[in-house]
Amino acid sequence: MTDAGFDTPEGARADGAANVGDSSSTPTVRLSRITKRYGAVVACHDVDIDLTAGRIHGVLGENGAGKSTLMKILIGLIQPDEGLIILNGRTVTVADPLAAADLGIAMVHQHYSLVEPLTVWENVLLGERVRLDRRAACERVATISDRYGLGVDPLARVSGLTAGQRQRVEIIKCLRREPRIIIFDEPTSMLTPAESEQLFSVLRTAVVSEDRTVALVSHKLDEILHATDEVTIMRGGRVVDRVRTSRATASSLAQAMVGRPVSLRSEAAALGLIDAAAAMAIGDVDGDGDVDGDGHTGNAAPIVLEMRGATIVGPDGHKLLDDLSITVRAGEIVGLAGVEGNGQRPLADALSGLLDLDGGSILVHGIAIDPTRPGALSRAGVGVIPEDRHDSGCVLDLSVAENLTLGNLGAISKRGVLDRNAMEARAIELMKAFDIQARSPHASMGSLSGGNQQRVVLARELSARPIVLIAAQPTRGLDVGAIEYMSERLRAAAASGVGVLLISTELEEILTLAHRICVIHEGRIIGEMGHHEADLERLGLMLGGVAA
Amino acid sequence: MGTDAIETASATADAGDQHSGGSFAGSARRAVPIVGQYVVSIAVALGLCAILVSATGGSASRVFAALLDGSLRSPGAWGLTITTATPLLVVAVGTIVGAKAGMSNIGQEGQLLLGAAAMAFIATRLDLPGPLLLTVSFIGACAVGGLWAGLAALMKFTRKVPEVISTLLLIFVASQITTFGLTRKWLLLAKENTSRTNNGEPLPDAAKMPSLNIFGNQVSWGAVIALVLTAVVGVVLARTTIGFRLRMLGLNPRTARRFGVSAVGVGGGALMFSGAAAGLGGGLWLSGGAAGDRFTGAISSSIGWQGLLVALLAREKAALAIPMAFVFAGLRTGSGFLAATGVDRRIADVVQAMLVLALLIPPAIEALQRRRSGSGAAA
Repeated sequence: MTDAGFDTPEGARADGAANVGDSSSTPTVRLSRITKRYGAVVACHDVDIDLTAGRIHGVLGENGAGKSTLMKILIGLIQPDEGLIILNGRTVTVADPLAAADLGIAMVHQHYSLVEPLTVWENVLLGERVRLDRRAACERVATISDRYGLGVDPLARVSGLTAGQRQRVEIIKCLRREPRIIIFDEPTSMLTPAESEQLFSVLRTAVVSEDRTVALVSHKLDEILHATDEVTIMRGGRVVDRVRTSRATASSLAQAMVGRPVSLRSEAAALGLIDAAAAMAIGDVDGDGDVDGDGHTGNAAPIVLEMRGATIVGPDGHKLLDDLSITVRAGEIVGLAGVEGNGQRPLADALSGLLDLDGGSILVHGIAIDPTRPGALSRAGVGVIPEDRHDSGCVLDLSVAENLTLGNLGAISKRGVLDRNAMEARAIELMKAFDIQARSPHASMGSLSGGNQQRVVLARELSARPIVLIAAQPTRGLDVGAIEYMSERLRAAAASGVGVLLISTELEEILTLAHRICVIHEGRIIGEMGHHEADLERLGLMLGGVAA
Repeated sequence: MGTDAIETASATADAGDQHSGGSFAGSARRAVPIVGQYVVSIAVALGLCAILVSATGGSASRVFAALLDGSLRSPGAWGLTITTATPLLVVAVGTIVGAKAGMSNIGQEGQLLLGAAAMAFIATRLDLPGPLLLTVSFIGACAVGGLWAGLAALMKFTRKVPEVISTLLLIFVASQITTFGLTRKWLLLAKENTSRTNNGEPLPDAAKMPSLNIFGNQVSWGAVIALVLTAVVGVVLARTTIGFRLRMLGLNPRTARRFGVSAVGVGGGALMFSGAAAGLGGGLWLSGGAAGDRFTGAISSSIGWQGLLVALLAREKAALAIPMAFVFAGLRTGSGFLAATGVDRRIADVVQAMLVLALLIPPAIEALQRRRSGSGAAA
């Protein structure tokens, strides 16, 4: 029997998880028959969801399953087309996030909104219409920090904090208003495993001892299984299942989320299952026997990409890359693991010829390439799947056919005149080979879905027959099917002799794909290990900056 | 999957067709509302103008009649309008090339002035037969205009000075240079200057652009040059590798750089081309005869600015620049007749400005729709 409400914060919570859907339990928040349409597409279809005080409620689903839309409706960022929001038995309208705050609803977003040059207490006060009282504000921050064991210094400057610490500042910003309902949107995407662990214990404190309601939105099975009391699974805009977490297994959740039986082993990365990924030996992947042995022959294969002592100094004098050296051999997938913001982006930009090195060199097949010459790296055979394809991977206002060409104009032109027919023929061929869904080769790149845009980038880079392929966060934002496809293509590319440098913040992805793992921290490589000697504990330490 | 589908659906419904340009059915379908928008916005502008003219004691119908007479109806009027449209079109086409490469040249007025000065300097000094003298003078006009824009390119790529600012400020430098040139006989000043202002030497007949006589209208051969240039630019942008690389640079400079498009080479080149076109526009304007027979300090008379506006209204499409240049030239020649109606010259300027605004509204609506559908897809 749960009797949750603002009036009874000390409500009994002995069983931890009452029956979901038990009519006798009164949810704090009930979203009833919510529907949200975008044109012809229904993002949320007749969704019912109950959040009960004193529990952590997981909302699980693939990218685009409608879970973010649902949470944005609760926080007032989006208005539903149909349906009701019922708070403690009262129907409410949440016009905007300010109204949500008045109702005691707060959200910790996936991407932080902190002002870097300001200190923690200043950031916490931002947006408040109160008199600036430094001492009171600092005390307040310190109190909250102590209560939840957050360990945040109110006088620290945000620019000097790690991603995990920044998230804790966001949590303080959120908790300061004493919300009854807190939504966490993909909270671990920027955290190390240890930091995630800490976050979940903070959540537990906030929920159990203070009877708050927490919704944890995620696409990672591990954290849903680990941190929640009950879970609602969404697929294609509908709720497909509600279960008590203690009764769920990884495979039952995965099947409900994807809508078909899945192999936890081969799709571990896509599902966010770190242990399964770590346990999996590279050669075990079904249907990818070609990868076998590459891990062993790697040392004999020629080095196709070498970065020697690469150093890049940022505009503020801070070193983005600090004497970084890394090698990739033909046929090898090197996984570069690291917490977001430790130099992955400058590294990928340098290898794309978009950022000049302040020191060091880049060698392709042993030949030094001058990265300041536009296109030099591309001509030398360095293909790139960039982290942000809209930034440097495609041109949204050009057609699919043109985007499949970009650097490869020689094949579809004669004496400087474009051969439109050849361009179209080539595009149709690649669209077929890479299963790109577009109305026609002339459709604008901007009209394609994210997954299909990524396939266009992949098709173009692979069809140029690269010597090295840099894949930076290649599966970010893709659904499970698309992630599997990308993984297969990367394996196949390596099997055909391409040296692949996989830059990823998803440890699961690195563990499933890479033959060799390097860890980047603050712009330098602080550790390296073969896949077979991969040790999660050691990896976790290195991600946090401890050379182990 | 859901988000992906949303992106696809909303983009298809709102923005997809605007980008593709592939299917004829698509272009026909969206042409209708755009033409409608032009009709409505021009009608509203004319209505407002009528109210304004009546309120200031004039006759709206006589004002519109005068505009039409001056630009089209009176004998020889449309020939003069076409001759006036010539430099506007050439300036606009150059501006389009720069804009496609992501270069915002707004200094056409100065480039055009110096181009005209170069034309005057060369044409009054060399004794060559007609076509040859014109060719050499035009090359000089192009070179000076191009180099003037090249200064902005130099500052952009060595000192990161935004070309919007440098090209604009260089207009004033250009103006000072020609003013100085008109004080020195060895530069631009006429040998025997009879006017109270300092004017240039009258052009020799060989440097005057021959005209075609079509139904009693004198149409400068320059118009043919402008049309050929427009066609060539249109084809180069759409059908050649250099055009493709130039568009790539303008749409996404980082992607372009990765694929070997040099911002300095291609971008700087496009900026210089737009300057050269403005210089040529100055040469054509001077030799076309519509601005008198000699160089003066006021010869550019906003042709550069209006050419820039033509490019803006043509939404970076070379073919659309042709009718737009004609409309602007019509407003110029037409307003010459306004004085006879007794309407204050400043009211006439307001009428002209209102019509320009009306022409700007449909492209603005399109841009807004595109942005809205873009943000809709992101959510």
